[in-house]
Amino acid sequence: MTRQDFAFKWLLYAVALLPVLLLEFAVFSRWPLLGVSPVLVPVAAFTVAVLEGSTGGAGYGLFCALFWSAATPGDTGGVFVTLTLLCLLAGLLAQRFLRQNLLGCLLCSLLGLTVWELFRVAVRLFSRAATLPQLLKIALPELLLSLAFVLVIYPLYRAVYRKVGGTKLAD
Amino acid sequence: MKNFFRHNGGLILLIAILLAIATALGSTLLGGTANPIANAVGTITAPIRGAVNSFLQWTENRYDYAFRYEALQAENEELRKENAKLQDDAREGQAAAQENKRLRELLNLAAKRRDFQFASATVVSYGASNWENTLTLSKGSNFDIAAGDCVVTETGALVGVVTEVGYNWCSVSTVVDATIEMGGLITRTSSAGILKGDFALMTEGRLKLSYLPEEVDFIAGDEVVTSGMGGVYPSGLLVGYVEEIHSEPSGMARYAAVTPAVTLSDLIEVFVITDFDVVE
Repeated sequence: MTRQDFAFKWLLYAVALLPVLLLEFAVFSRWPLLGVSPVLVPVAAFTVAVLEGSTGGAGYGLFCALFWSAATPGDTGGVFVTLTLLCLLAGLLAQRFLRQNLLGCLLCSLLGLTVWELFRVAVRLFSRAATLPQLLKIALPELLLSLAFVLVIYPLYRAVYRKVGGTKLAD
Repeated sequence: MKNFFRHNGGLILLIAILLAIATALGSTLLGGTANPIANAVGTITAPIRGAVNSFLQWTENRYDYAFRYEALQAENEELRKENAKLQDDAREGQAAAQENKRLRELLNLAAKRRDFQFASATVVSYGASNWENTLTLSKGSNFDIAAGDCVVTETGALVGVVTEVGYNWCSVSTVVDATIEMGGLITRTSSAGILKGDFALMTEGRLKLSYLPEEVDFIAGDEVVTSGMGGVYPSGLLVGYVEEIHSEPSGMARYAAVTPAVTLSDLIEVFVITDFDVVE
């Protein structure tokens, strides 16, 4: 794969993030589904991690974290490490123990989102912002709804992957 | 181990850690000013977010027109009747209406609170998370907006408090956000309490008024305004109305669930109070 192919591949992945950002930050922020706004950017990052492996996943996770941090007021930077690390682990998991398919993506997203939500709950529990049942009441529906969106996001990224993913451009 | 990290994104993880440290330091040291990364991304994307928001607003209007035609027709009929009644009322009491108009002008917020310095701004996006209730506005430090500034509507109803400021944008935690905390006052009884966001109430679009005096009776519909205690926020800004009185889980104290006076999802233009006189 030439440097140009490499750049083109990741440019396409970056473009694929646009509809995800639009859905999460412009549409569902105003019109939540059943009162819940799904978190789609981490799901997109986990999907790329499953398809491209740990290094590519970590890079894409960091890229997504930049947008997430900018769009989330008061973010103190935890998202950079959390999302990068989770994508790195999701990539490793998919490469070594799972398959790079929808089921693998669902499992990695489930694990990733669970840790993601636990992190958010823990931060608020630590700052005594609310009680655990109150926080779980927000975290659980968010996790389930976000997980359901794997069925939408995975085909989008799979389509990109089929065109330019892995080392296909070099073939 | 070195190879493992080299081939598995260790370098990327290191960059992420450095970014996290820089952001954490930035948010601690800059105290409400957006960190350089958020500021740069926010500054570049602010016009895009504004355009997207305008497009969504336009789409919503078209959708309303196309798919809610019957409802709109019924509403139109209702409004026609109401209009006819209002015209009738106006004819009967033109003098009273004129006086009312004068009084309204007298009560105009800018005239009422001459100490307020305003910066008008438009809402460019709504917060995206279930954990926060925020808005992004079209102006920032370029219009002297600072963290802690109160945001109100044209009638003086409190929208929220500025929490983060970039060059041409700022983030506002709305009155129902779980991080909001300020002094509140029930105008009918002059009872002071603490207005506080609450995760459970935030999902219902309400906030909490707690630490209420035991001896005072509250009724649904009681008006709640900011008390201005401490001098951090201006006093007398309309926050909302008492909807229900509840007991805290401990059973030892009461709190009121307050419904904001503003419909937060319908805001287009708001006003940031950039300066005011502290009244002790």
